Amino acid sequence: MDPVTTTPRSAPRSAGPIAWGVVATAALGALIVAGSRKLAHFDAALVAYTFSVLFATFGLTYRYAMWLKRPPTDFYWRRGWQVFLRRGGRGGRLGRLAGLARHAVSDLALNRFIFARDRLRGLTHVLILWGCLLAVAITFPLVFGWLAFESEPGDPGLYRVIVFGFPAFAFPSDSVLAFFLFHGLVWASFLVIAGVMLAMRRRMREEGAAALQSFVEDFLPLILLFAVSLTGLMLTASYTWMHGYAYDFLAILHAVTVIFTFLWLPFGKFFHVFQRPAQIAVRFYKEAGREAEPERCARCGHGFTSKMHSEDLIEVERRLGFDYRIDPGKAGRPDHYQRVCPPCRRALLAAAQGAAWSGVRGGTLVAPGAAPAHVNPGLGEGPLGRADAENFHG
Amino acid sequence: MPVPADRHFYLDPARCIGCNACVQACSECDTHKGVSMIQLDFVDRARSTQTVPVVCMHCDQPTCAEVCPADAIKRTEDGVVQTARKARCIACNNCVLACPFGVPKMHDEANLMMKCDMCYDRTSRGLKPMCASVCPSQALFFGTREEIEALRPASRPVDGFRFGAQVITTRVRMLVPKSFAEPLLAVTAPLESAAAVEALDPLLANLYQESES
Amino acid sequence: MADPIPASRRERRTPLDPLPDDPFGPHPAWSAGVRLDTGVEPDRIVDTHCCFCGQQCGIRLKVKDEQVVGFEPRYDFPFNRGMLCPKGIKRYLQGAHPDRLLSALERDEAAPGGFRPIAYDRAIERAAAEIRRIQEAHGRDAMAVLSGASLTTEKAYLMGKFAHMALATSNIDYNGRLCMVSAGAGNTKAFGIDRAANPWSDILGAELIWISGANVAECAPITTDYVWQAREHGAKVIVVDPRLTPIARTCDLFLPIRPGTDVALFNGVLHLMIEHGWIDREFVERSTVGFDDVARHVAEWTPARTARTTGIAEPAIRQAAEWWGTAKTSFLMHARGIEHSSHGVANVLGAINLVLASGRIGREFCGYATITGQGNGQGGREHGQKCDQLPGGRKLADPEARAYVAGVWGMAPEDLPQPGVDAYEIFRRIERGEIKGLLSICFNPLVSLPDSDFVRAMLGRLDFYVAIDFFLNETARHADLVLPGSLHEEDEGTVTTAEGRVIKINQAIECPGEARQDWRIVQDLARALGRERGFTFAGPREIFEELRVASKGGVADYSGISWEKVERQQGVFWPCASDDHPGTPRLFEPGSWNVVAKGAGPYYFPDGKARFNVAAYAPPTEVPDAEYPLILTSGRLIGQFLSGTQTRRIGPLLDMDPEPFIELHPNLAEHLGIGDGTWATAETRRGRLTLRARVVATIRPDTIFVPYHWPGQRSVNRLTIAAQDPISKIPEFKACAVRLRPATAEESCAAAEVSTPSRRPSLPMAGG
Repeated sequence: MDPVTTTPRSAPRSAGPIAWGVVATAALGALIVAGSRKLAHFDAALVAYTFSVLFATFGLTYRYAMWLKRPPTDFYWRRGWQVFLRRGGRGGRLGRLAGLARHAVSDLALNRFIFARDRLRGLTHVLILWGCLLAVAITFPLVFGWLAFESEPGDPGLYRVIVFGFPAFAFPSDSVLAFFLFHGLVWASFLVIAGVMLAMRRRMREEGAAALQSFVEDFLPLILLFAVSLTGLMLTASYTWMHGYAYDFLAILHAVTVIFTFLWLPFGKFFHVFQRPAQIAVRFYKEAGREAEPERCARCGHGFTSKMHSEDLIEVERRLGFDYRIDPGKAGRPDHYQRVCPPCRRALLAAAQGAAWSGVRGGTLVAPGAAPAHVNPGLGEGPLGRADAENFHG
Repeated sequence: MPVPADRHFYLDPARCIGCNACVQACSECDTHKGVSMIQLDFVDRARSTQTVPVVCMHCDQPTCAEVCPADAIKRTEDGVVQTARKARCIACNNCVLACPFGVPKMHDEANLMMKCDMCYDRTSRGLKPMCASVCPSQALFFGTREEIEALRPASRPVDGFRFGAQVITTRVRMLVPKSFAEPLLAVTAPLESAAAVEALDPLLANLYQESES
Repeated sequence: MADPIPASRRERRTPLDPLPDDPFGPHPAWSAGVRLDTGVEPDRIVDTHCCFCGQQCGIRLKVKDEQVVGFEPRYDFPFNRGMLCPKGIKRYLQGAHPDRLLSALERDEAAPGGFRPIAYDRAIERAAAEIRRIQEAHGRDAMAVLSGASLTTEKAYLMGKFAHMALATSNIDYNGRLCMVSAGAGNTKAFGIDRAANPWSDILGAELIWISGANVAECAPITTDYVWQAREHGAKVIVVDPRLTPIARTCDLFLPIRPGTDVALFNGVLHLMIEHGWIDREFVERSTVGFDDVARHVAEWTPARTARTTGIAEPAIRQAAEWWGTAKTSFLMHARGIEHSSHGVANVLGAINLVLASGRIGREFCGYATITGQGNGQGGREHGQKCDQLPGGRKLADPEARAYVAGVWGMAPEDLPQPGVDAYEIFRRIERGEIKGLLSICFNPLVSLPDSDFVRAMLGRLDFYVAIDFFLNETARHADLVLPGSLHEEDEGTVTTAEGRVIKINQAIECPGEARQDWRIVQDLARALGRERGFTFAGPREIFEELRVASKGGVADYSGISWEKVERQQGVFWPCASDDHPGTPRLFEPGSWNVVAKGAGPYYFPDGKARFNVAAYAPPTEVPDAEYPLILTSGRLIGQFLSGTQTRRIGPLLDMDPEPFIELHPNLAEHLGIGDGTWATAETRRGRLTLRARVVATIRPDTIFVPYHWPGQRSVNRLTIAAQDPISKIPEFKACAVRLRPATAEESCAAAEVSTPSRRPSLPMAGG
């Protein structure tokens, strides 16, 4: 079943994001012109690819900027940089720089958190991620004319690499390096196809996945990746073993799949690639929160999050149009429901329902005040980890 | 497939015996097998055996989804607020801290919020959720309005809750007595009123004291 | 007395608690692999029932590659309609378990865990040789059999037949001795029949529900829904318990009774009923005998005296009497709380007197029942594994019954042994050297019998002990031979639920390794003994067919029940004496016919009338004194079952309560200086026990509670008293004198050493 987005209480204005999109697209355009030496190294046959990437750049920048305007994203964006750049804190700014590198490797490059969800799922994701990255790293410079190969004038067996218009190193065209380099996209497609196969298998057989997945959100991206990889491989097969049989047709087919993928990039599931780095900001925010003053539950007194997070959320909720304020002005009582910890919220719910029943049927209620406790103290069914234990003071 | 519009989840925490059947059955559900999503707490074990089971209430305007910076929480057309999209969730904890019912759980190793999705793999196929299927006291009930009316003639469902100045309406309903006149359940009332609630101790109250004789 | 211990046994060292690396566990199991994989399509889904308590909820088991990998609610079974407690939900984890016995084992001190595997056939031969040797040297009664009520009715019948016919020993008894016998004896004395008088559906329309000594929420969780459903239609609920259990929290009137004084309360309430004229005189006149004697007896039970004795405030007693006295419909339930007493039968009779005086029985929504504790607590107590019993609820001492059953079995009545002794007495006879050999199945007396240090010593005195089980339970660790039996899901047969409903257990998977169905093992033993005749059944169905014949004409008449009928009707309530009879959900309906009264009346006596019995109060065998000033009571937890052989091996259940504890009231805790969660030591005249304190206001301040599911150092039954009811022989688990203090540093260290909090190593998650 397809999801419906909840109605945002205040739609952010889109003028700014459009401007950001234009700026980013123009910047990329300028870089293409500069990097290809005024299009000298630009391959006209690839112009459609170039324009689709330019469009994707506009779309992604626009969407990213829109995304940052949402109150919760906005506060994480600002707070993320604030806590990262602040003086002091554990390890200092240098320590956080090292932390950034560590998190980037662990989260973004190695996808450790996905392996923690499920090992096979982690493998699936890493295969697709690195397949795509490899392909992008090879094709984008070629398409933009930032990378070109020329036969060395004096030695036809030697290739000279031109990077951003500057001649770089040369290598023999029949070397092992050449074989790996020129077949880079083949290796990339192998990685992607393996990953797509694993992902498809999961989506086909798992009941939980089956209940929630939708075609556009979950299958289309896999189909696109598969189509791009397969048509690319067929091109290679055509010129390597079949004397270019149906090469033109395949080239158009490949171009169509790639261009569609790029045009769709800002709108569909692939946008998560650009959202994911926010996770690192969250990590810094949480670290800073742990060092700062805790918010103590107004009912049971347990510290359950940082005062900073609590205050930020109160502001975010206000901007979103929620009003969880409680009788402001009366002393000795919380001014905001946000200051009540999650277990006490559940206890209050039970108390409210029980109070409704009191006098109607027998049984007694407990006066609220004490700390609720998980009925099942075992780690397996109780708090799911450190953060959960903090939230639930387990 | 959507969850049928006439099927609803009814909660009656007063019935709960804290047996853990919901917790154990929850971890057998195919959407999150091995991890239990339902919340079950002793309200104050030192003084009472009272327990409270809380499933996701599936708000019409879910605070958790609104405060999510990553757009990871979606409410489907059938009114079910789905658990975090795995591709998007960045484990920021906003939803956990903002949910007025205290429902979501944070699985930090996996960098993922997880919460009750009304056993979507079951309810979207016309089956009852795991917890409501097994609940021995039927504090958790899933079915039609006609069924609950026939089974609980003294009860009435409420789907509005007040937290301070905020009113939240939900797809999941809470059972209150027919005689309960309020349209909403005022969850934060004890935090607002100055009067201390007298807790009766039914054990000591009915205990024989030597002076009686 | 000559030293009865053979040299080979004297050198044994079975530690109180197994070492951490013991190969037989208990190791807690969690879902993993195929059981966590949400993409697995089960090969089949088998409709069956839960393997634990007497409610026998319907459940569906998912099977993949001959392994039970999960469950589905069984919505179509009328008793529970999909409902289950956590034990049923996670029971599948007992299968494919690392501790599962996959071969026969022979005692070997040098081997890890103290046992080495041997070939099954050799084990059977050796067991038979030892049994023959013992019986030839010391007489047939020197061999004893301990059986259990978690076995199917077919197996329970076979065990009785095996003991009485193949072994020809008097000494067979079963673990229902710790569970059902007080209620059984009381019901037989009052009604002439031992079965719940009503199906649970009669709870639903009752105006008043009286629950005495039954922790319904934890021990019979599904019954909670019946109670709540009745309340939703206006019923009031009275709960009598020393602890404010979850069902008591929500009741209308809670009577916090002093343990062991239940009959005083019943007598006091009857006193008030008589005083206020709340007696159904017409019913008493027409359908009962003995009321006047009882009325005379309860005259002395004034409210003031009742209050003093029971520890309940007098107004509460008066309120209860008024509600009970004036109700139009009612349902009274009780369980081990009143039955586990040295006057358990008197307690039960006191309860029945209240029911009879109200006249509210044998009609819709007017009911009475004991809540049977064990899976087949009902069926397992009807067909001959009780020490004085023959199939069909017949008496072993009754010549007519002997002649009939001997005829069915094809043997001479005089070859049937005479009645033997109860399960605890068997251990006393071991002490006296009268019993030399033991065969046990489905019974873990070292954990479940009181004063278990004595039981442990007696296990060491046996000449030969062979145990049948699927895990190496704590008692079996003292065995010479262990034969690998079957799990519930590996065999089929019938059981009879707490309601008296005969239901069908279906086989889901085959036994793994060398393990096999218990009835095969017993028949193999009979064959190896050369006493094969009568033990050549091809399967449980053939056993059931013989059981039908053997029970025909008895009170527990199964002759009209067939497996097909059970499946067709979703269970058949006995008695059911002919093929066209639908079964008897409700007993004692006016005008009903039964085999004893033959139309004279609805009760199972020749005159067809129910019996009032004078239920005299006597204090528990051991009452608090200056030295031991508190009362110790024991009981169950929702996540554990009986001696924990299965449930202590299921990780998610152990998670709920990883450890036993001492529950005490904050007033008492303050007085003794014991803090919540600190180590406390309880001492009785039998032994000492150090556990963590759980300080809660939901228990009487003069009483402490300890759950009994744990063995060794953590076993409360090392403290309990071996006093028994003179009629039912049930032990007094629910009341003995105890003293409590903060544990010393040494005791805390020792206790912490065996404390093994359950922790799942990491967080597996399917569908990432």
